[in-house]
Amino acid sequence: METLLAVRNLSFGYNKTDVLTDISFELQRGEILFLLGPNGCGKTTLLDCVLGFLKPRQGEIYLNGNNIKDIKAGQMARQMAYVPQSHEKTFPYTVLDIVLMGRASYVGAFSAPSRQDKAIAEDTLQMLGIYDLKDRPYTQLSGGEGQLVMIARALVQQTELIVMDEPTAHLDFKHEMVIMETIVDLVKKTGISILIASHFPNHAFYFENNQLCCKVALMNEHKFVDLDSPSEVLSEENLRITYDINARLVSCLIDGERQVNQIIPISTFKTKTGSEREN
Amino acid sequence: MNSTKKKTLYAILLLGPLLCIFFTLFTGRYPVSMNAVVQILWSKITFSTCNVDEIYQTVVWDIRMPRAILGALVGGCLAVSGAAFQGLFRNPLVSSGILGVTSGAGFGAALAIILFNATAPIYLFAFAFGGMAVMFSYLIGRVYNTTPTIMLVLGGTIVSSIFSALISFAKYVADPTDELPSIVFWLMGSLASARYQDILIAGIPMLLGIFGLLAVRWRINVLSMGDKEAQTMGLNTQINKGIVIVCATLATAGAVCVSGIIGWVGLVIPHIGRMLVGNDNRVLIPVSLSLGACFIILIDNMARMISGSEIPLGILTSLVGGPFFIYLLKRTKGGGW
Repeated sequence: METLLAVRNLSFGYNKTDVLTDISFELQRGEILFLLGPNGCGKTTLLDCVLGFLKPRQGEIYLNGNNIKDIKAGQMARQMAYVPQSHEKTFPYTVLDIVLMGRASYVGAFSAPSRQDKAIAEDTLQMLGIYDLKDRPYTQLSGGEGQLVMIARALVQQTELIVMDEPTAHLDFKHEMVIMETIVDLVKKTGISILIASHFPNHAFYFENNQLCCKVALMNEHKFVDLDSPSEVLSEENLRITYDINARLVSCLIDGERQVNQIIPISTFKTKTGSEREN
Repeated sequence: MNSTKKKTLYAILLLGPLLCIFFTLFTGRYPVSMNAVVQILWSKITFSTCNVDEIYQTVVWDIRMPRAILGALVGGCLAVSGAAFQGLFRNPLVSSGILGVTSGAGFGAALAIILFNATAPIYLFAFAFGGMAVMFSYLIGRVYNTTPTIMLVLGGTIVSSIFSALISFAKYVADPTDELPSIVFWLMGSLASARYQDILIAGIPMLLGIFGLLAVRWRINVLSMGDKEAQTMGLNTQINKGIVIVCATLATAGAVCVSGIIGWVGLVIPHIGRMLVGNDNRVLIPVSLSLGACFIILIDNMARMISGSEIPLGILTSLVGGPFFIYLLKRTKGGGW
């Protein structure tokens, strides 16, 4: 396998506070790297460094073998796309207009998207099953539909790597599944690589249960605690250490053939219950 | 939008201001017949001699024509830079003066009126101070070699308030018999002094600004997604933001320096455009250009005709435009907001 993204000894901080210390990993073609960790552990900061918004204090990031410091925005956008966690909607653009914006790095400085760009955008909407929404103002979409539009916008950039920041945040059960199935589908069909930050350990299992090549980077206190396959990393022990919770790993057979792993949070380790604390 | 629909739209956009200009030529306190207007236009275009009375020729060709053209340019500039800034700052409440160009130009004009009381320095000072104000805003908004949108808006607000204070100061020290009235009238906006040479001088920055914004209009869509997303989609946000700011400033400063301060257009005309054709800047920017041009030409006609002395433009834009805007708002239910 070929290395798509390589991060070497990355450290980042604001003034005196450290946010990331000495992080190294590699992402191979066709692989999913799943960043998991408590709030404030530095997941989003790590994504921002990889995307080039934040300048690391130390260490290097290589995309397709080139240091990202030396890659121009236009070149970068053809190699790496981004699906934001919460997109701040301002003007009611139509869905198609939004998706077309993803073609910006292919469109000349003083021109607009061509017929080809439009065809690519429409094909992508079709693939994600949201072609019917193409003329709707995207401000009127539900959270799940909006997230699919953001994924479509990233896809038309035709990159080998997509960075996703909590793509299922605020979504209901069904739309969470829709997004997860979409990602699995994409990786299987196109061999794209995904760097994803998430709060749901079971999503990593979901990828593994679907036979995708997935690695979990468990982050805590600005560092990687562990980096391996979901079933190795997501142990009851590791969740206790990282989240300070009592969790159980369960495994069952679905339809008598498919093995499905899940981790279930049971309780926090309270010394006293709420009512006892009051007394 | 399919291509025939697009062609029709662009034809309307081009014809609108031309019709408004034509309409202007035979409206006014001095009656000129349609027939005479056509004859004069024909003779001027073909450089042939004209047997219409000399005074009609002067009224139509030397007074009404430059005024209408200048009105079209000014209205177009204000509307187009307002639309561009609304996209760039991702805020529909922003107008063309957000980075301080209007207040800067106002102070420049006031200063020139006090110092020289002649037209040429007023243009120059208004333009220069307008540009300077935007430069200050940009420098204030610049942190760590980047210019976050919110810092730019803050910078603009601060610079605007400083120049507003300076305008008040200039009014305070101005001679109340002649300088003060000129300052006040200038600040209310007028096209009364329009001549061809004004168009030639101020037209250069205005046209540069307009064509610049037309050229990058699709990129304004992408910029309106915010710095982070625009960058991941492949735009160098620093350079692209810079281009939009420079073009909008050239256009607005060019307009303001000849017309004085005309409010309302740079904020509301883009919204009328949004209600009519939606928010895609590919269409919105040309539509704003055309609407702004038509609007100012028509308002200027009213300013000339309503009473014996001219009513300042800045007053009429809001008085006439406001109710029209409310009507559109009710009619289109705000167009998807």
